[in-house]
Amino acid sequence: MQLKLNDISKSKFDSQNQWLFRGITAEIGPNDRIALIGGSGQGKSTLLRILSLLEPFDGGILQLDGQSSSASNPQSWRKKVTYVAQKPVMRSGSVGFNLRTVSELHNLPFQEELARRYMEAVGLGQTDWNKQAADLSGGEQQRLALVRSLMLDSQLLLLDEITSSLDPGSKQSVEKLLLEWVSGTANGANKAYVWITHDLEQARAICNQVWFMAEGCLLEKAETEGFFSNPATEQARQFIAGLQEERVEKQ
Amino acid sequence: MSNMALICTVCFVAVAAFISMKQKLGLEKEILIGTFRSAVQLLFIGYVLHFVFETSHPAFIVIIILCMILVAAWNAGAKAKHVRGIRSRIAIALACTEGVTMAILLGFRIISPTPQYIIPVSGIIVGSSMIVCGLLLNHMKREMETARGEMEMLLALGATEKQAIHSSLRRSVRASMIPTIDGMKTVGLVQLPGMMTGMIVAGADPVEAVRYQILIMFVLASSAAMTAMVLSLISYRLWFAKDARLLPLQPAEKP
Repeated sequence: MQLKLNDISKSKFDSQNQWLFRGITAEIGPNDRIALIGGSGQGKSTLLRILSLLEPFDGGILQLDGQSSSASNPQSWRKKVTYVAQKPVMRSGSVGFNLRTVSELHNLPFQEELARRYMEAVGLGQTDWNKQAADLSGGEQQRLALVRSLMLDSQLLLLDEITSSLDPGSKQSVEKLLLEWVSGTANGANKAYVWITHDLEQARAICNQVWFMAEGCLLEKAETEGFFSNPATEQARQFIAGLQEERVEKQ
Repeated sequence: MSNMALICTVCFVAVAAFISMKQKLGLEKEILIGTFRSAVQLLFIGYVLHFVFETSHPAFIVIIILCMILVAAWNAGAKAKHVRGIRSRIAIALACTEGVTMAILLGFRIISPTPQYIIPVSGIIVGSSMIVCGLLLNHMKREMETARGEMEMLLALGATEKQAIHSSLRRSVRASMIPTIDGMKTVGLVQLPGMMTGMIVAGADPVEAVRYQILIMFVLASSAAMTAMVLSLISYRLWFAKDARLLPLQPAEKP
């Protein structure tokens, strides 16, 4: 799996002459664990949505395994490059019905064992599958939505603040599961993820690379340790200092 | 009805205009335009029908029905102007419904193949189907906002457009058919339909009028179902961009 972003640009929703971001050139390869960080409104979610072809972009070329997005079938693209939204959307029906979504969409046998294993891993092992999904708490829904997407066995997961409603314990179990997931293979191919997070601890724990978005572009791409110990730009330094202060205040 | 009696009907409009002025509703101009247009349009169609009934040429019947379909498609399409190509799809759906229904009506000799029957019944079919189209589109527009998250989630999991929009489409088809079905339940108890009333006023036997009305009610039910089905099937793709993304939301309309 190789996803190439070549000079990707996106204009702002309300004014077509202004750029939300521009000139993003990067590559995502097998075993990449990327933390995508940056202030609010920089277009991090938009970038992930573009990568999974849920949003159009205004300039540049996107290629998956050498094939450009415009020449690809969007369905098979999204099966390989899967976006998991921050706000979980439950289908109206039971927990089990939600878990069966992928097998129902693609006419595949439902892998119940796998689903149970994932549910167990994110701390939902005791959840009754007949319960209405809408009755779950926000944090439970967020985890169920993740498991539902994991059932797709995609090669690249695009995770949009998927632990934002979770308590520290559940957060860690999700991190553990995804680290385990990324070290496995999907149909013989190595996997990767890009994870938007505002949590520096989490970024350190789960990622081997950091992408930092600021000033309408991808300002830094670096190894995780290098980025945190010695950021190359002033903006990144300030951003890290800001998040650290926030954390100290919370504690 | 004598000309004098016809002119006297203007007093009903005067009541509406008077109330509008008294209550400062600001609708006088609208009422005036509405009065003028309905009088002119109806008189015009009266003379056209008079002419068509006399000549009884099939080409005129076809032209009138086509005009009905085009005007109805244009009108219903205004509900979803931003969806490119929706008006032609509505026209196709209306034409299918009209074609199938007329084929059954004429094929089984339920009505006689004369303009006196074909044109009014076509008007009823196309008119009510137009309302069904409008309801369907209105509902779909709302679904595109309320069920957007669900549709995007399904797309993200690799669903096809049809799979992603299926639930919304089903809800919209249902919603568009409910008024027709409800109408079937209360007809005769609550409302006396215009056609039946018209026949009775014109001197027909009420039982004979009712037989025609029963026919019309059943035709309306089937045409509502047919229109909603066909339109939803041939138009669902229009809510997506070509790479299976949802169309962007429209900015809210100014009141």
